[in-house]
Amino acid sequence: MQSLIYFLVKARPWILLVIYIVASLALLFRNNPYQHSVWLTSANAVSSSLYETANGVTSYFKLREINEDLNRRNAMLELEVLSLKNRLRHYSDMEFAINEPVDSSLSRYTFYLAHVINNSINRPDNYLTIDRGELDGIKPEMGVVDCNGIVGIVNVVGPHSARIISFLNSNLRISCKVKGYEQVGSLVWDGKKPDEAILEELPRHAVFNPGDTIVTSGYSTVFPEGVPVGVVLKNLEDYDENFFALRVKLFTDFSTLSTVRIIADNMKEELKRTEKDLQQK
Amino acid sequence: MARISIELLIYTLVLVLAQVLVFNHICLFGVAVPFVFIFVLLRLPVTLSREWCFTIAFIIGLVIDIFSDTPGMNALSCTLFMALRRPVLRLYVMRDEEITNPCPGSASLGFFTYVKYASTMSLIYCTFIFTIEAFTFLNPLQTALRIVTSALLTSVLLIGIDSLTISRREKRL
Repeated sequence: MQSLIYFLVKARPWILLVIYIVASLALLFRNNPYQHSVWLTSANAVSSSLYETANGVTSYFKLREINEDLNRRNAMLELEVLSLKNRLRHYSDMEFAINEPVDSSLSRYTFYLAHVINNSINRPDNYLTIDRGELDGIKPEMGVVDCNGIVGIVNVVGPHSARIISFLNSNLRISCKVKGYEQVGSLVWDGKKPDEAILEELPRHAVFNPGDTIVTSGYSTVFPEGVPVGVVLKNLEDYDENFFALRVKLFTDFSTLSTVRIIADNMKEELKRTEKDLQQK
Repeated sequence: MARISIELLIYTLVLVLAQVLVFNHICLFGVAVPFVFIFVLLRLPVTLSREWCFTIAFIIGLVIDIFSDTPGMNALSCTLFMALRRPVLRLYVMRDEEITNPCPGSASLGFFTYVKYASTMSLIYCTFIFTIEAFTFLNPLQTALRIVTSALLTSVLLIGIDSLTISRREKRL
């Protein structure tokens, strides 16, 4: 007994070392990204307030690029408004759309504005932190977009901040399609360039050309249908024998993210209930 | 001892802040990431007990993890790194009497010994962190490139920080 106690006292540093290693491994291999507690992520009170202060200083450096992006987006939207106005005139001429609300598809969604206070793009699994949290109406699994395209999905929510799984993360797959066609594939980041991703599992009979726009499919409650994602660069011939795989140039510039919009789907609960009922039957 | 503790505490605060606010966002040529906070771990006094060394390393790693959303990655690397610090120091410094000050630095070890010590330890740290990171994407060539370039960048910065911390009194000696 005495020698056991003697051994334990002598081996104390090494026992401590093993405990620390096991604790780190436990943190490392908790695979499900939704299981993280708020305190062990950048959405906790101390780190989010620190990042918010630092962001107050550094956000000015990106203003020029953001301004250019906004101008470009503005021009695109103006064109769209013009074409929609034309179409509306055309329909009202045909006395067709008189009783039809124009934006019926969008009333399902609510948008919240937020600022990115921390962001990384150089790891295999990247995350962002934003300055809005539970008290502002943010909940886990909401979609996040910026003025150019998709950004990610809300993951852990604190009272005044939230952590977002960036699209540049190996855990995230987003259901997308080539604009104008109905075949759906899943878009995933391959960890190489922060402005390119791969659209996998697109059926062999799908139609596409380089330069075609990729948009979200709307098959989940996270992103509405038709959010722009990127353009097709080329077909990856040797990637998968049974499906098409396309290399996609992303619209979102993850290195200059600043203001983002969080999308809340007002029909989410209803859809979840319906799907649950179906499963039970 | 109190002076050393206060000095280390200040280094820890400054370097951890610098790491999470500045250096985490630097990725030179898309591959090299500097890890400056390991300066604190290199600087811990050789007279400090192993328990304290492991605990400090684990806590600093965990703090970096929390800020950069890499659960367990830095904590594990720092703990293993600390376990290897003494053997590495022993490689370059045969006897403890050769160290004039319990905190290893270029002033106490001599410049070239410190360069060897800092670069070996940076290589060890980068090997741990990028190997752990590479579990998600198996790309050995890219990982090796990241290890080597990051270790180089980190060693240069460590030597720079070390030369900044030498006080005038030590320089005169």
